[in-house]
Amino acid sequence: MIVLEYQELELLIVRVREISGFDFSGYARPSLLRRAARYLTKHAMSLSELIVHLEQGGKVVYDFIQELTVNYSEMFRDPDFFISLRSEVISYLESFPAIRIWVAGCASGEEAFSMAILLKETGLYNRSLIYATDLSERVLSSAREGIFSLGHMRTFSENYLLAEGKYSLSDYYHVAYGQAVMVPDLRKNLVFSLHDLTGDGVFNEFQMVSCRNVMIYFNLEQRQKVFRLLYESLAMFGFLCLGKRETLRYSGYEEHFRVIDTRLNIYQKIK
Amino acid sequence: MGGSSGSFALFEEIIKLVTKPLPCALIFVLHRGKSSLSELPVLFNSKTKVRMEEPQHLDLLDTNCIYFAVPDYHLLIGPDQRFYLDAAEKDFFSRPSIDATFISAAQSGIPIKAAMLFSGASEDGAKGIRQIAEAGFRTYVQNPDFAEAQKMPLAAIDAYDKHQILNEENLFEEIRSILYSHST
Ligand SMILES: C[S@@+](CC[C@H](N)C(=O)[O-])C[C@H]1O[C@@H](n2cnc3c(N)ncnc32)[C@H](O)[C@@H]1O
Repeated sequence: MIVLEYQELELLIVRVREISGFDFSGYARPSLLRRAARYLTKHAMSLSELIVHLEQGGKVVYDFIQELTVNYSEMFRDPDFFISLRSEVISYLESFPAIRIWVAGCASGEEAFSMAILLKETGLYNRSLIYATDLSERVLSSAREGIFSLGHMRTFSENYLLAEGKYSLSDYYHVAYGQAVMVPDLRKNLVFSLHDLTGDGVFNEFQMVSCRNVMIYFNLEQRQKVFRLLYESLAMFGFLCLGKRETLRYSGYEEHFRVIDTRLNIYQKIK
Repeated sequence: MGGSSGSFALFEEIIKLVTKPLPCALIFVLHRGKSSLSELPVLFNSKTKVRMEEPQHLDLLDTNCIYFAVPDYHLLIGPDQRFYLDAAEKDFFSRPSIDATFISAAQSGIPIKAAMLFSGASEDGAKGIRQIAEAGFRTYVQNPDFAEAQKMPLAAIDAYDKHQILNEENLFEEIRSILYSHST
């Protein structure tokens, strides 16, 4: 196994920035260290070999960045969250003539499609617009295609049922060439675009922002900056949804939100 | 302390040994199912008076506290003495992984009083406890002969043969004296 030291990691962060422009300096070091060491071990490389390898630029750096920014996602991930959304948040959103939702850090679209299905089943989809963003062009292009493997769909279907979906997930996709293709109707009010939470700013005002399983990758300072961005992107009394183990603790914005669901980390902006 | 199948009951006994304030943080990493909801601090509530917690992301590490890794996240320890939760790949099909916690502790620069590995049916932990030993800290492995599941302690000893072995007879006395020793 290859051991990487924190000092070496800093060196690597600087080189990646010089080569690709991508800046990992706001990311949590212990997790980056673990993932970078795993990358070296998997590819049987030393740090200096990795740096030479990255200097080729292009796809090589891109793959490396991709490996370090975990893209794992599921439809209806943490099914309880969607149950809570339906019971605590939807009734409030109903009072708006037009609903704007931001899914920040959307990976390949799993969460955004889940949100679209939930809105559809609660009768709100036609007046909603979902903006789903990520910093990875690769995951975004696969999100735009709306194609998922049937193997993954099996897990997603179980989640959907646990989330008390009304029908069957298979009502929302058709199978072509052994893959699941999401129905066009679901993609109607769904926009996927590039947005870097650590560099780009506010681009609209939302009634709900869902940023789940993303905050966990940032360090304390970066995390506070991202919280500020999310806070400023929310309409007054809008909702902020975080991942299962992500709270407002250490965000600097604890006072500005009221807790809607302590266990599932749903908050409402109150000042 | 790391363990998997067969370690739960041992951990319970170890917690009962904590009868007075601890001079260190005591961290347990136990393999558990993703959806296991039972919170260990609640489960073990009656066993000790010392504070027990499931550390959340970015919490500061404290002495005189017993910590339990939450299911479905790796529990990492940073050089800034904070806990970090990490949702990246599993090790040996496990999240939390014992290796992840041990390796991060070894790299954090924080002094480690001791690391211990107990019963389990996977090889998780072997790499990490070796790294802690090589960093110069004390390491202990349960004698595989009386571990409920031998694979975990065996793998650790295979990977590095200088761990001290915890035998059945004096297991708990020994752990107690290590916990309350004043070295490191
Ligand atoms: C683990 S996925 C979470 C996906 C989804 N929200 C969920 O909960 O299943 C994290 C995503 O955050 C994205 N991400 C990481 N850093 C980012 C940044 N600075 N700006 C925008 N997205 C980022 C990654 O590319 C990845 O797709």
